[in-house]
Parts: sequence; structure tokens; C-alpha cells
Amino acid sequence: MSTPPNPCTLLSMRYLKCVFQPRFSGNQIHATLRNGFRAGKLRSIEARKAQILQLAYLLQDNYERFKQSFASDLGRPSLETAFLELDSTISDCKIAYDRVDRWARTERAPFNINFAAFRPVIRKEPKGVVLSISPFNYPLWLALGPMAPLAAGNAFLIPKYMDSDVVRVVYGAVPETTKLLELPWDHILYTGSGRVAKIVCAAAAKTLSPVSLELGGKSPVVIDPNCDLKTAAKRIMWGKCVNAGQTCVAPDYILVQEDGMDTVVKALKEAHDEFYPSDPAASPDFSHIVNNSHFNRIKGLLDKTSGTIAFGGQTDEAKLFIAPTVVHSVKGEDSLMSEELFGPILPVIPVKNLDEAIKFINDRDHPLALYVFSQDASFKNKVFDNTQSGSAVANDTLVHCALDGLPFGGIGPSGSGYHTQKYTFDMFTHLRASLDSPSWSALSMPAIP
Amino acid sequence: MATLLHTPIDEIAKIRDALRATFKSGVTRPVAWRKHQLYQLARMAQNEAEAFCDALAKDLSKPRVEVMAAEVGPVVERALKSAEQLEEWARPECPEVPGWQKGWKPTLLKAPKGTVLIISPWNYPVILTFQPLIGAIAAGCCAVVKPSEAVPHFSQLIAELLPKYLDPSAYRIVNGAVPEGAQLLDLQWDHIFYTGNGRVARIVAAAAVKHLTPLSLELGGKSPVIVDAAYDMDLAAKRILWGKCNNAGQICVAPDYILVPRTKQDELVRGFEKAYKAFFPDGALGDKVTGVMEGRKDAARKRIEPTVVKDVKDSDSLMEEEIFGPVLAIIPVDDLEEAIAFINARPHPLVLYVFTEDPVAKEKIINETQSGGIVFNDTFQHLAVGELPFSGIGESGYGYQFMKYTYDTFTHLRSSIDMPKEAEPFLQMRYPPHGAEAAQALAGAAYLPIPPSSPPSGRL
Repeated sequence: MSTPPNPCTLLSMRYLKCVFQPRFSGNQIHATLRNGFRAGKLRSIEARKAQILQLAYLLQDNYERFKQSFASDLGRPSLETAFLELDSTISDCKIAYDRVDRWARTERAPFNINFAAFRPVIRKEPKGVVLSISPFNYPLWLALGPMAPLAAGNAFLIPKYMDSDVVRVVYGAVPETTKLLELPWDHILYTGSGRVAKIVCAAAAKTLSPVSLELGGKSPVVIDPNCDLKTAAKRIMWGKCVNAGQTCVAPDYILVQEDGMDTVVKALKEAHDEFYPSDPAASPDFSHIVNNSHFNRIKGLLDKTSGTIAFGGQTDEAKLFIAPTVVHSVKGEDSLMSEELFGPILPVIPVKNLDEAIKFINDRDHPLALYVFSQDASFKNKVFDNTQSGSAVANDTLVHCALDGLPFGGIGPSGSGYHTQKYTFDMFTHLRASLDSPSWSALSMPAIP
Repeated sequence: MATLLHTPIDEIAKIRDALRATFKSGVTRPVAWRKHQLYQLARMAQNEAEAFCDALAKDLSKPRVEVMAAEVGPVVERALKSAEQLEEWARPECPEVPGWQKGWKPTLLKAPKGTVLIISPWNYPVILTFQPLIGAIAAGCCAVVKPSEAVPHFSQLIAELLPKYLDPSAYRIVNGAVPEGAQLLDLQWDHIFYTGNGRVARIVAAAAVKHLTPLSLELGGKSPVIVDAAYDMDLAAKRILWGKCNNAGQICVAPDYILVPRTKQDELVRGFEKAYKAFFPDGALGDKVTGVMEGRKDAARKRIEPTVVKDVKDSDSLMEEEIFGPVLAIIPVDDLEEAIAFINARPHPLVLYVFTEDPVAKEKIINETQSGGIVFNDTFQHLAVGELPFSGIGESGYGYQFMKYTYDTFTHLRSSIDMPKEAEPFLQMRYPPHGAEAAQALAGAAYLPIPPSSPPSGRL
């Protein structure tokens, strides 16, 4: 009864073959999912839990296959795939499975003597049929992580290991996505770039679909010259090198006081050499760039820099490899500061003092993550109190994303809406307020003259 | 007719910039500062209640009791309650985490989003202008409020009053019509809170795309009423008519049309007649006519009497759009299935009203319909419960308000951790080069035991 049936293996192979569907019919799929929703297929908690488990099975059954596919798609090290994507998604499945009862339970409104007799409650209802558009960089975690919508009871467009009346995946590129966006969705979750986010929002404006945007931007790192630099450098280098810097919350650039710059660069080099004792090009522990377009983009930015390359800088187009690279003495107008790097290049920008660092950050778009390395509380507080950012992270990079209980979301151009676990559940849930008025109540009858 | 002074167009961007500078200065951050502004707002509503009643009498002929009960009263109450609860709302939260992560100091900081735009409509101008503003003030945001030019006395009044009570470096009124509105929408805001109709909502949403501005849309639509055969028709009629008469039906949550079993339609109509006579002994138009609810109008005073129309069909003119007036359409149906299908064939309503004591019927309706809110055995009353979130779904809008929900709308949840140095030995495994032991340890979650199960439907 409990082992996943054989057809699951067949389905997983189908999933891994990226097939552009001939005669794509978004309308048909949308209608099927809407019927599945209306039929109440995911209304019961048991049904939702069953689908969540199917997802966990999909991942566990095909663990090695996913590692291999990311190795060939992204040159991604096996451990990164395991640690960053597969494990976190399976863990999210388990958390959702354990907690969906609690999340979905109807809440009583806080007590108010005037209305207690009216039994005010807040029902947690699925919004309906939702669309999730996920990017290339963490395809599993970002596509399947929000499967907590299954916990919310929605019908979803994602991989087919589960009941196809409630969950569907659509492969495609611009034409297919454009067609999908013409339809009304009860919620759209878009993860990706600001440019495409505007296209999604423009379409959503026509259908009044609510949207959550997980975008990015340039996440700054502010280093206190008095901090524990060896540890800081390791944690920053790690955050930059994971997935070759193709992470929405990768530490994008460093701000440090001018007289501390050389020490920082030296510490970064030491950390780099520990990670890659020989050539990073040959290391199985370093990812490559997703495609030619991004490779050329990143290389172009590096070629135009007016800063000085401290180490790294090697590229290999055939292998889509760009080495972990630190560039120092970078200025605000540099090519490396013109857009989100989304690659393994780390500019170091010297500033006069902390005030200048804060001004530098505030002159730019609110970042998704803001990193501060310091053991001094007043230093940290000064930065966080005088800036705005999606998250405020001290003394590490990246790890705040998967912390159970903390919402992940941006502000301004870095996005809106929150997710992970209950926050994703809430994103796809409608709070339906409800009252039940007793027949004896005369409260609702003020005099009408 | 009041002359509404429009804000000069070239002033508008400067106003926004000034508010932004105020926000950056940090003056709105301290909770004590925000509480004072909330108390000032409450004082304004209380001290100037007469002026508000007067303005709305001129703009809408709105009865004084309605202004005090539905508009001024809730503003005072919610401003006070928000001030009382603000410290609790603003307190950083520390989520429960597994022991090994506790040292990371995971904290959820409540950060104001910044400078926001509130656009309010003409029908309940006091509450719909100040309710979102209460949340914005509580959250620590600066705000521009654009009230409706359709209520010029009100909009002119608050342009004069607001700077006397609230800090004008943080909160401003911008008055005007389409050109001024367009200029506002061209600028960048950290949140836009729009209350109104679906057509203009699409314009607001399209404008917000430029800056990827998050939105709250409080819209409307046709809010249906289902009446069960077994329910007391007189009581249902009384409660429905009361909901319909408020502001002459010009409210987003007015009961728009009624679905009732065919066999009970006439009894319901008689219930309406009784209720009408009780509410308006001299007739609603005050002209002492005793025939009731026949759709009589008084064009000179822009009045239509509460009117009930029975045997309405799906294709009727009354079913084309939100009525937003004192006309009730009754649609006879054969059974509950037909009523539910009728509702589901249309956009999700802002509120669904159901008159029944039958728990099976309640459950069925809850499960088979979607709506912003659902109210059993009354109309309208849920607006009074500040502890419930108020919002639409689908065409009726999105984004919640009332009390802490408004506060949350204007707040950014800023997650924070602080990784101690001492964690380093534990984190060591994540750094390359990755040995086999590290691979094993880090992949632990992948091998979590999955409980046995099979789906209830028997598939897969």
C-alpha cells in the first residue's frame, strides 16, 4: 500500500525530458485545473497530504537522476544539488506534510465582547488555480518548493508525479508563457528578473490577478574593518561561489573602508585557495554558467571593468566556465555595478567611511539581501536602521533563505510577497472572514430615521 | 457646489519627494511618534464630526446617524485600538527554530514599506480614506491620500483639516481629478491602496507595473444573498433591507440580489413590505405615500426609494452590473444547487450572504463557493468586526484591511539572522572541496523517512 507504484518511475523520466508540447493549449490545461479545483479534489487535508508525499517520492526516487541532469545543465556539483535543492525541497515537503492541518485550521477572531455572539472566524481557503513561473538557477527548489500550494489546496501547474487534474507542468519559452499570462489566475508567483516581472504584472493587471514577485538585484556586503576577517571572507566567498554566483541573494559586491581593502582582498584569496586548492576549472565542486547568453553577458561586464582583477578572471566559452574572480578598486559607475552580476565575479568598492557605504546603498534599489560583517552591534544597527532591504543578514550569506520560520521576500524592485513554508501556504490562501448572526440579536438594527 | 481646489500638477512630485525625505529621516520610526499621530487622527474625527456630517450632507445627502455610526465612529475606535496595540504589532518576532539554529538569532523585523499612496472613493469617504491611513501611520509609513473629486466638500475639508492635526511633513492630501490622478500614478510608491471599481483598478494596476509597486485593491461586484426556504422570511427581509438601505445601497458590500426558492418568493416580498413600513413609517422619500417600494424617484433631490423587483431573470438589466443603489432584485430558483451554480457562473463576490440555520447547507455553500467574506443570517455586519480581515478575491479585489491587517499591508517583514563565529565548525562541511563524508552528512534530509499513505480517491 505504501510503496510508490512503478508508473512513478516512468513519469519521472517524462519529467526529465524537456518536451515543448505540440499544439500547446493553455486554455485547456487551465480549464482542467479549474474543474479539478471546483470538484474539490484538494479540499480535504488528506488529499493534500497525499499529493505532498507524491512530490517527496518523486524527489527521493529520482535523486541521482536530478543530480546528473543538473551536472549536465549547469555543471553543478553533486553536493550543491543535494544540499541546496533536493534536500531542502524534501525537507519542505516533510514540514508541509506535518503542519498543513495546523496551517489550514479555521481561526477564531480575537475576542470582542460586542461580536462574540456572531461567532466571527477566519477560514483558510485555497485561492483557486495558480501559476508559478520558475527560473533556471534553482529549478527544483523554486519550482517545487512552492508546492506548499498543494498544502493550500490549490490546483497547480507543476510536474506530473501527482494527480494531473490538480497539478500540471508546462514547458515552454516566451510564446507559451505569454499565452498562459492571458488567462486569469487566482495567484501568480513569478521568480526571476525585474524586466520579465513587468511583463507578468502588465498581464496580471488586465485580469486583476494577484502577484508575488521574487526578484533580485545587487545584494551588498558591508565589511567592518575590525571584524573577524578570516571567517567573513570564507562565508562571503562561499556565498559567491555557490551555483557560480547565480543566486538571487548572492553577495553581489563588497563595500569596505579604503584602508582595509587590501586586507579584505587577501583574505578572500585565502578562502578561495582553500576551496579550490588547484584550478577551479577542474574542480568538481564549482558550477558553470547556465547558457551562452549569460556567459557572454557576464564576460562582457568583466571585460569592461575599470577595476583591477586581484585573482581569477579566466573564462572558457566551450565549457561555459567563468572562474571565481575578485576585482578591487571598483567605482560606482563601473560596468560591474550596472546590473545584477548573477555570476562568480566579486567587485570590492573602497569607501571613506560607513556613512558613505550607507549612502551608496541608499542611492540604489532596495536589495533583496543586505549583508553586514561585524561583531560590533552599533555598526550593524547603523547599517540596518538606515537602509531598507528584503532581509538583513549579519555575519553570513545565503543561509537565511531556508530558515524555517523566517519569511523570504523582497521590497521595492527586489520583489513583493513572501514565501517558504507557511508563508507560501499563506500566499496561496484566501482568508475568508465569516460571521454567523444569531436570530435573537437586535444589534444590527440601529434606528433609521 | 464646493470649489475643490486641485493640487497643482507640478507640485505633486515635489510632495512625494518631501514625504520620502521625511521617511528617510527616520522620524516615523519610533512607536511613540506613530501613536501620537494616531491619537491626533482620532481627535480630528471626534472634534470635527459635525463638519464631516455637514460635508457629507452636502455631498451625498447622507443621514447624520449613518455618518456617525458607519464612518466617524469606526475611525475614532480603530485609531485608538491601533494605537493601543501598536507596540505589540511592531515588536520584532523570534520564530521557533530547531536548537542548532537558535544561536543564529533569527528575527522577524517589522519594517515600514516607505511612502505610500491611498486612493479613496466617494461612497464612504471618511472611513475609506482614514482606515487605510490608520494602517499606514501605524506601520511607520508616510502617505499621500487622494480622496474623490465626486465628494468635493469632503475632499476640500480634509485638505484643510489634515495639516492641523497630522504632521504635514509625513501625511498630505492631493486633490484633483483625472490629470492629478494620472500624475500620482506615474510616480514611484512603496505601496498603492486603491478602493473603488474594477475598471479603474486595472488602470491603477497597469500604472503600478512601471515600478513593480505592490497593490491592495478593494473592489466590489454583485454580492448575492441566498435565502433558505426554512428561514424566517420576515427576519431575513428585515436584515437584508437594512443592509440595502445603508447609504441607499451605495456600498461595496450591499446585498445586491437575492436567490430564493420559487415557492417562498412572495412571502419574502411581503416580509420586505413589512420591514419597509417599519423603517419608513412616512415613506422613504418622506412624502407620506403608503404604497411601498415601487421604484419611485425624486430626481430633484437625487433620490430613489428602496425598491424590490421580483421574478428577475439572469439576463435582466439589473443583473448586468453592480447595482450600487437601493434596488433589490429577487431571482427565484428551484433549489440550493441552482443558487450555487448561479453564483459560481459569475465573478467571485466581495461578500456572500446566506440566510439558513441548516448546518449541512452552510457547509455545502462554504465548500462550493468562493467569496471575499461569507456572512450567515445577516448583512453588512462583518464590517463592524475589526478583528476580521476584509478583502475580496478575484474580481472583487485582493489585499486585506482592518486593524492589524492594514498594518501588515503597509509593513515589510524583514528577516534577519546574525551568525556567530562559533558556528564555523558546524558550517565547515558546506565549503569545498567536498569530501565523501560531507556529502553524506549534508544530504541527510533527502533520506527522511516518508510515511506510508495512499490518496483517498484511490488514484496513484
